[in-house]
Amino acid sequence: MKKIKIIAGITWAFLSLILIIVLFPGLTGFSASVSKLPFMKIHPRYAGGEVEKQIVTQSCTLDVRKPVFKGLISDRKTGFVQLDWRGTIPAEIRDTIDYDFDGNPDFYIQVDTKTSKTEMYPFNKKVKGLGISTSTSFGWAVRVSLIKRSNY
Amino acid sequence: MDNVLKIAGTKKSFGKSLLYTLPMFLITFMFMTGGKPDFSDLSSALSILVAFLLVNVLYFLMHFTGKTDRYRVVLFIIFALTLSFTLIKNMIAVRNSMSFSQADILECKIPFCHLVIPMMILPAAFSKSIIFPGSILNGFANISSMLVLWGVATLVLGRGFCSWGCFYGGWDDGFSRMRKKPLLKNINVIWKWMPFAVLLMVALTAALSLVPTYCDWICPFKAVTEFEQVTSVESAAKAGVFFSLFAGLVVVLPAMTKKRTQCSFLCPMGAINTVSNKITPFTIKIDKNACTECFKCVEVCPMYALSKENIKEGKVSIFCSKCGKCVDACSKNAIHFGIKGIPAGTLKNFSRNLFLFVSFLFMAVFSAGSIISTLHSLLKIIF
Repeated sequence: MKKIKIIAGITWAFLSLILIIVLFPGLTGFSASVSKLPFMKIHPRYAGGEVEKQIVTQSCTLDVRKPVFKGLISDRKTGFVQLDWRGTIPAEIRDTIDYDFDGNPDFYIQVDTKTSKTEMYPFNKKVKGLGISTSTSFGWAVRVSLIKRSNY
Repeated sequence: MDNVLKIAGTKKSFGKSLLYTLPMFLITFMFMTGGKPDFSDLSSALSILVAFLLVNVLYFLMHFTGKTDRYRVVLFIIFALTLSFTLIKNMIAVRNSMSFSQADILECKIPFCHLVIPMMILPAAFSKSIIFPGSILNGFANISSMLVLWGVATLVLGRGFCSWGCFYGGWDDGFSRMRKKPLLKNINVIWKWMPFAVLLMVALTAALSLVPTYCDWICPFKAVTEFEQVTSVESAAKAGVFFSLFAGLVVVLPAMTKKRTQCSFLCPMGAINTVSNKITPFTIKIDKNACTECFKCVEVCPMYALSKENIKEGKVSIFCSKCGKCVDACSKNAIHFGIKGIPAGTLKNFSRNLFLFVSFLFMAVFSAGSIISTLHSLLKIIF
């Protein structure tokens, strides 16, 4: 038993040596494999949700993302919808948004991109308020806070 | 008697030490130069040469003098300083400040570090996603590569990661060596269980709020890396918390106690690495036949991992980070690096050589990028 323990210990130690030697040259490959694991996705709370609709205008494109309510296990009562304006951003953004595509506008948004002054006017009770409004490397992004109510 | 013990110890002759350094020399050369040294840019070539010489001279000295911690800590502190320098330099180049903005969060551009891992586990299990605004695979400090690096290191080194791989540990290790004698000695060792409480708290709060709460509110190392822009009362309060924790646990308490107080009393990653200490093949062993119970090792241990009871039982606790400070302090070579399964007091040199190679290689290659980058920047400033 003592001998088996010694052999097992030394074998594990040498395996560790091999692991460390191959770790750095193989880092790119190992990382690529890890990135394919099912949980290796940024939570939509940070990533902003999938793009649900693209509206192309003359100078820029507006990406309306899927509303994010995702919690740890089930959906939460509050969430947000992210809007990304990509391309050449005008001095003033003015858009009426129907984020759930039910044919009824949900809010009106107005952004002065020079001063960052943003105003949002909700048209129904699903829209809670303005979350984030910021310039980004791709243009401008806004998050509007929402309340999940199935009866609206 | 002392001479006999020294011969039987870990010191080696000049030639033998060189021979032991040769594999490290070749492997670090390959990693730092990619096998093709480029001398077209003088400052780049010089930075690589200095970093290469630094790691290999330190490794040679570990074998030649038989001292481990004395030389480990040099690279460990340099790693911490150069990593912070590189991070701050990059952030100032990209963002013109050390703080990140809402746009950086929205675009998932925040560098990922291993301290986020404890908070990732529950959300990854339940919501199949990562609650951190970083990059999965691309760019600097991406989530996948950090997971691989930490995963392998904790498997191989256990809590040794905290003394050989953590790029923050060098800060409190450095401050804990500022005084010759501690000003504050009587700290209740029950506090060493605190990281488990912090781990539980941050894992649960992160799962409930879907926010990496330790990074958001507590992490003291934001003071030397990056932090949220102060734009509100909440962000100002966060800044107050992490600056206070940095000052208290990383600077003042380590300097007063000569212990690594942040690592011992706060870090949730340390708690996870403590658990993985059970898996690693390497450990610290106590040769009870050689031990005179002088308890010098207990006195010098920076992680509260050794007690008089541990020495009497001949076993180190799971909190050990294998820094080697106790090994260096033992004049009888009674406490030594060992491999699990091998009885204490046997194959001391073999175990130490193998552990040093594995742990030092990890630190040398992991730290090389930031050391070279810092040297390169400094050389550009000078010339």
